[in-house]
Formats: sequence, structure tokens, C-alpha cells
Amino acid sequence: MRLLRNPLVLAGLAILALLAIGEAVAPGFAGAGQLRSQFVIAAMLGVIAAGQNLVILAGREGIDLSVGAMLGLGALVAGNVMNGDNAMILAGLGAAVAVTGAFGLLNGLGITILRIPPLVMTLGMAGVIQGLLIILTSGRPSGRAAPALTRFIIDPLVVGIPGLVFVWAGLALLLIWFLRRSRAGLNIYAIGTNQEAARLSGVPVTATRILVFALSGAFSGITGFLILGYTQSVFIGVGNAYVLPSIIAVVIGGTPLSGGTGGYTGTIAGAILLTLLQSLLNAMAIEPFGRQIIFGVVLIGLMLIYGRQDRLRT
Amino acid sequence: MTEASAPAPEGRPPLRIRWALAFVVFAVFFAVNAWLQPSLLTARVLASNLTSFLPLVLVAIGQTYVVLAGDIDLSAGAIIALVNVSVVSLIEQAGGSGGAIALGLAAGIALGILCGLLNGLLVAVLRLQAIVTTFATSIVFGGIALWILPQAGGSVPQAYWRGYAGGLGPVKLTVILFLVALGTAILCSRMRWYRHLLAIGGNRLGAFQSGLAVTRQRVISYVLCGLFAALAALCLVGETASADPLLGPSFTLTSISAVVLGGTALAGGRGGVIGSILGALTLGLINNIVFFAKLPYVTQDLVKGLIILAALAGGILGARR
Amino acid sequence: MSLLVAENIRKAFGSTLALDGASLTVEPGQVHGLIGSNGCGKSTLCKIAAGSVGADEGRLRFDGREGFFGTPAAAAAAGIAVFYQELSLIPDLDVAENIALGHEPRRRGMVDGAAIHREGARLLARFGSAGGKGLTPGALVRDLSADQRQIAEICKILARAPKLVIFDEATSSLDGDQVQIFFEIVRALREAGTGIIFISHRMDELFAICDRITVMRDGRTEATLPVAGTDREAVLTLMVGSALATRHRDEAPPRPGAPVLEVAGLSNAVLRDVSFTLHEGEILGLGGLHGQGQSAVLRAIFGADPATGSVRLGGTSQDRRSPAAAIRAGLGYVSGDRGVNGVFLDRPILENMAIASLSKSRAAVFRPRAFVERVGEIVARLNLRFAGYDFPLRTLSGGNQQKVVIARWLATGPRVLLLDDPTKGIDVEAKADLYAIIDELAAEGVAILLHSSEDEELLTTAHRVLVFGSGRIRADLAGEALTPTALYRAAYEVSAA
Repeated sequence: MRLLRNPLVLAGLAILALLAIGEAVAPGFAGAGQLRSQFVIAAMLGVIAAGQNLVILAGREGIDLSVGAMLGLGALVAGNVMNGDNAMILAGLGAAVAVTGAFGLLNGLGITILRIPPLVMTLGMAGVIQGLLIILTSGRPSGRAAPALTRFIIDPLVVGIPGLVFVWAGLALLLIWFLRRSRAGLNIYAIGTNQEAARLSGVPVTATRILVFALSGAFSGITGFLILGYTQSVFIGVGNAYVLPSIIAVVIGGTPLSGGTGGYTGTIAGAILLTLLQSLLNAMAIEPFGRQIIFGVVLIGLMLIYGRQDRLRT
Repeated sequence: MTEASAPAPEGRPPLRIRWALAFVVFAVFFAVNAWLQPSLLTARVLASNLTSFLPLVLVAIGQTYVVLAGDIDLSAGAIIALVNVSVVSLIEQAGGSGGAIALGLAAGIALGILCGLLNGLLVAVLRLQAIVTTFATSIVFGGIALWILPQAGGSVPQAYWRGYAGGLGPVKLTVILFLVALGTAILCSRMRWYRHLLAIGGNRLGAFQSGLAVTRQRVISYVLCGLFAALAALCLVGETASADPLLGPSFTLTSISAVVLGGTALAGGRGGVIGSILGALTLGLINNIVFFAKLPYVTQDLVKGLIILAALAGGILGARR
Repeated sequence: MSLLVAENIRKAFGSTLALDGASLTVEPGQVHGLIGSNGCGKSTLCKIAAGSVGADEGRLRFDGREGFFGTPAAAAAAGIAVFYQELSLIPDLDVAENIALGHEPRRRGMVDGAAIHREGARLLARFGSAGGKGLTPGALVRDLSADQRQIAEICKILARAPKLVIFDEATSSLDGDQVQIFFEIVRALREAGTGIIFISHRMDELFAICDRITVMRDGRTEATLPVAGTDREAVLTLMVGSALATRHRDEAPPRPGAPVLEVAGLSNAVLRDVSFTLHEGEILGLGGLHGQGQSAVLRAIFGADPATGSVRLGGTSQDRRSPAAAIRAGLGYVSGDRGVNGVFLDRPILENMAIASLSKSRAAVFRPRAFVERVGEIVARLNLRFAGYDFPLRTLSGGNQQKVVIARWLATGPRVLLLDDPTKGIDVEAKADLYAIIDELAAEGVAILLHSSEDEELLTTAHRVLVFGSGRIRADLAGEALTPTALYRAAYEVSAA
């Protein structure tokens, strides 16, 4: 019973259950081909949720509602730098990360120096970036992914697994290492768990909070770059569908919105779980509305299992 | 108990205008709007502006109650969508008579209250995180809306939208509705439960120790948010004369912007409904200004985004004194 | 018939037992004093009576009604009003609205703002001009000073015309005039037949106003005495129990080491011109009543709270004080409020130990294995046992959690340790271990500033004790002068017989 309280175990079991149900409903659901495309979709969500994860871990009502707009911006910048040229792939990635990281930094400065609540700051920033995107594109998609990037992302690289999944795995290992082994990572947990104790232990609280928002921007930029590679060209509102799912992936992965506990391993499970759930609902030949309703009810159910707040009376 | 014999000095409630800053911001934008669009100051344009701002004003009022208590409702927009399609479908099914319209209105309001009640039970009674939970219920409400009506369509009888566009003598109905909403909000701010809402948002433990029914008040605030979202939906039906399940969602975040712009702290306990009404009107004016400033079309969204961000930041910094 | 009867109340918070065998009987029309050292369970007992904390065992009878109250609202309805130490005021409502909270008068369904403010003004008028500038019915509570907030909270209670009032440290921020007015109010309540529980650390206040006094120690009721038939010494003896028999440390003060920490003219919201010098290998105790500046001086030295005045460490002036700078200069700070200031409960034990060392070294990468090697010896010295470094700190008892925090600071190799009531709420065995290590560290030359709310600990551990009162140093006791009686007299302001 105690094991079931562990969000990671819970999410893992849910993933297995979904695969089993999927295989029963639509044979082939848990097959290699299907799984491959599932993982590609989960990877996109997983990378954008990484930034969201850091912001939420750092606590103090940390949340980033601008990740969707940042994703669009990253895709646009990367697409225009690459413009179909294979030689420009890394330059495209670098440019996307630099630009979205800078906007994330602005979020962090507004939240720490001007003390604007994260929800308000990032919501406002999303509006600004969305407007910027319209100017930059005149409302039309522009820029193209390099063909080599698209092949790398979609085509099987090794043992039938596409390159994108390796990219995700690499980023995940890096991030898990960062959270466990770097001073900055430990500081993120420290301020999320107990900001006052962190300050008294010499943790640079303000700098760390700015850092997580800058990193969230950067991860959104990477996601934009990857999605561009996946679909070759993107429309500017592409990121909107990722904002709240990125938060949900973090929360059902065991990082509560209050921050300080949890980590990226759970978020990976959360991203896979969300993707499989969506895809299972698609496979069950239920009308779109039915999928949506079931999806919402499942979310509420998951919240009920481990999202309870403390009582007022002790 | 022996009462103090000293004559009690005459106590008078101080005039504390919590929405002063929001009013200044509103006045500035109103002046800019009037400068760019001189016809704004005619009764006809003012009334039509009010008509298009009314739904947001209503949702913002509802959202304020939730935020004041220290919570948030991310499902307000989905409730609008659900009520919107339900009312139109119901009126069509019931034959479109006057009675059908009355039935539709009543059912819509009941539905909004029910949605709010569900949110309140999940957040306050079962103690789930407000942000994620109301997002989850918004998915459910949105799904049900799509179930009822997969895409925009349907129509309401002429009596509905004619009536909504009409008025009492020279005064438009929407203007009356706005004034009624404003009046109700002012009256509510003098009710006991409203004080308790501020107390709960300001110091939840202190309010509990003072004997307030914390859980019940939080549920009530969600119910009110559902109710006002339903009213907004009914207005949208009157404005568009049809149903659109995708019309609602954008209202959620905009209503939160309006609340913050109106000087209410997201942490709860501080602010008020009148500020939110001014905030909603200001957001409408910003739309007008960007339109009438004859900016190149592509720059309009950026300028709008920058103005809103600056206004939000300015409001928060100003409220801190 | 007694107004309130509480018998054999027991209450545990997690693994710490707050109350065990606590009893209290209060008569109508009497002022009943409740005294005991910090953490003896006075506040918890009162919160149980008022329904804001649940009891594990025991029975409660109030005004003829049997049973515990399920909510504060139920207790309030029955006629119990509580002055909460941490106050229950709402910062963004004004004073009159706070006073009326929960029972606002109405006119035609609306809150009657005029009546609320008339009533607020009437109650505030009882304090006359003693409330000071700005204490008006229309003032927002967030703008009030600490004493004004206490007055507002007192008025909030009077407005409810209760049968029983619990004043938990209601006078701690009030000045002399304000206390006198408060006493008049309490006497008026008594005349009217109200039962009053009065909690205070000021012995003089208890003897000035109470009819009977109940003494609590370690979660239990020691005795209830009529004030007329007792004196301060007797109450002191009951409070400290065996402590009076304990002698202070036997060794002579250490050979005077070099001065390490020189504090001059430290002042802030709490402190008034505090100056002293701490030497190498010295254990300097900070004593006095709760919250008289002992914590504030430690926090100011550490850079946790702003303060004016100078702090010199090893001859170097610490001008831009912040915790990060203090850590690099060789200071360490352990707080008794672990939950707020010390622990990261959901984080592994290892990280809890490493966090300050990482801040000090500014290394970008954390190397757990190297750190475990370094900290292993400290863990052994602290007699600290746990299942593994990767377990969350939450899995340890309070005493072991505090040892982990001590290990955190020892790992930084500090020259000065600032200990802010470090044994608060931890078990006896862990306490003994902590004091053993404090002795050892001092013998190795570490300078230690120790604030303890338990005088017994100061007497057995410190070489010298500074007694604080109202943010100033009231007495500097060392050698022959450092006796239990001297300490209690200075702290409780009992003039020598």
C-alpha cells in the first residue's frame, strides 16, 4: 500500500495498465511501431515539461504559462536560421535556445526583482511573445527545418528507435544529474522545500529563482526546435496546446505545485502516461468529446490519489 | 460586564477605496481611447462597447470571489462554453417558444451553479490543488460541451436576441444588465459572507480560529464563479444568437488578467469586485485602442501584449505603495 | 459549579508528546494564572479547550456541557474566546472589522459598517490614548505595530462577551501603561462573572491579577495554588522542579582565549544597543524570558535579519552581512525552529548535511562520496544513527533531525557556532548528545553562542550567561554570580528578597 503512495510507482503502474487496456481494445497498441510513435510524441511533451518541472520544483507558486509561446518562438527562430540547410542545424538550435532563454530570464527578473507573481508575469509574457510572433511572421509560417534534422527525429536511428528519443534520453540524464549532483540543482530543491532554511544555509535564493525561469525558456526553445524538425514547418500557435499538459505531466509525475519534492524521473513517466492516455482514448474509437471527458475525469482521479492538501485542524 | 462609562466617540467607517488605482488606469485608457476614437463619447458607442465588454465583466466578477478567498478557477471559460451550447440546444429542443427560452435561461444558470459546486467540493472539501483541479474540470466541462454540440451552430429564436439587443425605452438592456451587475456586486461587498471571504483569503488559519466556516465559504465562492460564468454565457448567446463550444476557453485567463488588473492579489484577501469590473473594462479599452491607433495589423497583438503586461506589472507595483 | 474542567488531557504531535496528564479547572469570576517554561504545553492545552486543536485522550466539560469542541466555531458559540499568541487578525481588514469578524451586526441584510465602527471605537476607547498613534477603528491591521495588534486582538475578544477568556501571552508586547489598562479590563470581566485564564511569563503580572495559579511542566499539571497562600519562590520551585538543585558547570571558566567575535552597539526592531565579546573556546549563554532579543541577536550576527552596529569576526569587520557571507566567514547557525529555519524534510539526509558546505566552497558539482567520507566522522561524533544517507530527513525523529542540522554546520568547519535554542522539542537523550558535542567543540577552540529557553541547560553548559530583557543585556553572570537563583531573578524580574 505504501508503495502505491509513491507517484513514480503509481505512474508506472498506470502506464502498464494503459498498455494492457490498449492492447486489448486495439491489438497492436503496445506493438513496436505504435510505441515508437508514442515515444516521439511523449518526448516533445517531456522536454517542455522539463523546464516547467524546474520552475515548479523551486516553489513559491512557481509556474510558467509562457512555455507555449516560447515554444512557438523557438521554432520560428530555429526555422529561419536553418531554412532547410543541413549545415545550420546546430546554429538553429543555439539561436532558439538563446532567444527563448533570454525571454525566460526576463520572466525571472520580473518575478524576483519586481516581485510580480509568476502566474501573472508568465501569462503577460505569453501575450507579448504571441504578439511578437505575429509581427515576425506576418501571420504566415516561415522558416523550414533542415531535412537531416527531420530524418534524425522521425527515422529509426538504432534498433528501430528514432533519434529524437535518444535526444530526450540524453536530456533526461543530464537533467537528472543536474538535479542530484550540481550545487544549482540542490539549491533548487532547497528553496522549493524551505526557502528560509535555504537562505540561512547560504543559498542564493534570487539567482536560483531567475535561473529556473531562464532554463524553462531554454527548454521551451529546444522543444520548438524539435517540433519544427518533426513537422518541418509550424504555425505560430503550435505551443498553446502544450502549456497546461506540461504542468499536468509534472504534477502526475509526483512534483506537487507547491514544489520542493519530486523530480524529473516522475515527469518522464507523467509525459508518457499523458501521451498513452490520449492515444488510448483515440484508439478506443470514442468520439473526441468522450475522450476529453474521460481524460479530465482520470486527471481528477489522479489528483484525488495524491494531491490532497493539509487540514486546518491538527 | 460593566460598560466603559466614557462616551464612545462617533465611529464612522472610513472611506477606503480599494479600486482607486484600477480606476486611474481605467481613466487613462478611456481618455486615450476617446482621443483616438472621438465617437466613443456618444451614448450609442458607449452602449455598444458596454455590450461587447459585458461577458468579460461578468466572468471577472465571479473569478474575483474565488481569488479573494485564495483560490483560482481555471474552468470559468469551460463553464461558459458548456452553458452556451446547453442553453441553445435546450431552447431548440423545447421548441423555441417563450416558455422554452425561460426554461433555457433557468437551466443555464442551474448548470453554471452545478459546475461551480463541483469545483468547490473538489478544491475546498476534498482539498485538491486548485490550479490543476479546475484545469481538469475544465477539460471535462469542455468535453461535455463538445458532446452536446461538436461545432459552432444552432440558433436561438428571434425573441432571445431581439430581446437582448432591445431595451427599456431609450436605455439598452445590456446597459441595464451592466448596472444591475455593478449594483449587485456593490451590495454583495457589504454582505457578511464577503467580509468572511476576505478574511479567509487574508489569513486562513486566523479566520478558522475566529470561528468562520472556511470550507463552506470557499465552496460558495466557486458556486458564485459558476453562476457568473453562466450569466456571461447567456449574454454571449444573446450577442451571437447561436452556440459555439470554442467561444468560452479564452475567457479564463482573460478574467484572471482582469482581476489582477483590478488590484486583487492572487494570494487572496486583498482587492475587490469593483476593481475587477474596471479591470475587465480596461482590457476591452486596450483592444479598442490597439484597433483605433491604426497600427499595422501585425503589430497589434504585440502592442496589446506589452500594454497588458505593463498594466499588470504597474498595478502590482502601485498596489504595494 | 466550575466553568471549565479539563482532565488528564493527552496530545501528541507526531512523535513529540505535547501534553500528558494535563488538567485545569477554572471557576467563573476568577482569574486563573497558567505558568510554566516554554514548551510545557500551556498553549496546546488552551487550543484544545478552544477547539482549534484536537485531543488524543482526556475529558472536557465547559459550562455544564460534556465533550471536546470539534471546531473553534463550536467553542466560540459556547462562549469561549481566545487571545492567540500568534494572533488571529486579518491583515487587510481594518481594526473594527477584525473586532466584529464572525458576528458582524447587520441592517437589512447588509453589514452595518457604521455599527461595526461605533462598536470598534467604543472598545478601543477603553485603552484611551495608551494605544498610541494610528490605532483607530478604520486603521488596517497590516499597518499596526505589535502592541497595537495585541490591543486589537483583546478588543476582538471583549466584543464577543464570552463566558471564558483565554489570554495567551496577551501582554508580551504591551508597555506598562497598556498593561495597567488591560488589568482594569480583566478585573471588569471578573466582576461580571467571566472566567479568565491568564498565561504570562511575567511573575509580577501573575501575582498582580490572578486569584489562583496553575503550574505546568513537561506537558503535565504540577499544582494549582491560591495566590493568597503562596509566593514567587514557591511557584519558581514548582516550575523548575529539580533544576534548582542542579549546579552550574564545575570547571573554572576556560583560560581566556583570544577574542573571536566582537559585537558593538547592535540595534534593530528588537535589539537595543547590544555589545559583548566572545572568546575562543568560550560557551556564552543567552538567557532570559522568551523572545527578549536572544534569537534576534543571533540572527542579526548571522546576517539573517538587518541590524545596525558592528560585528567583527577575528578582527575583520563584517559590514555587508548576509547568511552567505557569514558562512564564508566561518559562522554557523542552528535554530530551534527546525521546521522554519533548518530542515528540508523531503530531501535526503545527505543533502541536508551538505547544503551549507556547498555554499561555502561554491563548488559547482556535488560529490556525494567525498562528502560522506568527510562527514562520516562528524556523524559518529554526534552519535547520529540512520538507515541511509539517501533517506528523506522526514524519516528521523526530531532530535536526530536537529543533529543532522548540527552536522551541516560542523561540516563547514566553523569558528563560531550560533545556537538558537537548539534543543527545543527534542528528546532527552538527543539533548545530552548535543550538549556533549558542544562541550567538545568548545574544548577544541570553537566559540559558541548558546541561546536556550531552558535555564537548566544554560547553567550546566555555559561558562558565562547574558540575561536579556526587552532587547537589552540585563545581566552578565559568570563564575560565583552564575547561580540558578540569580538567573531566575534576572529573567523573571523578581527583586531580591
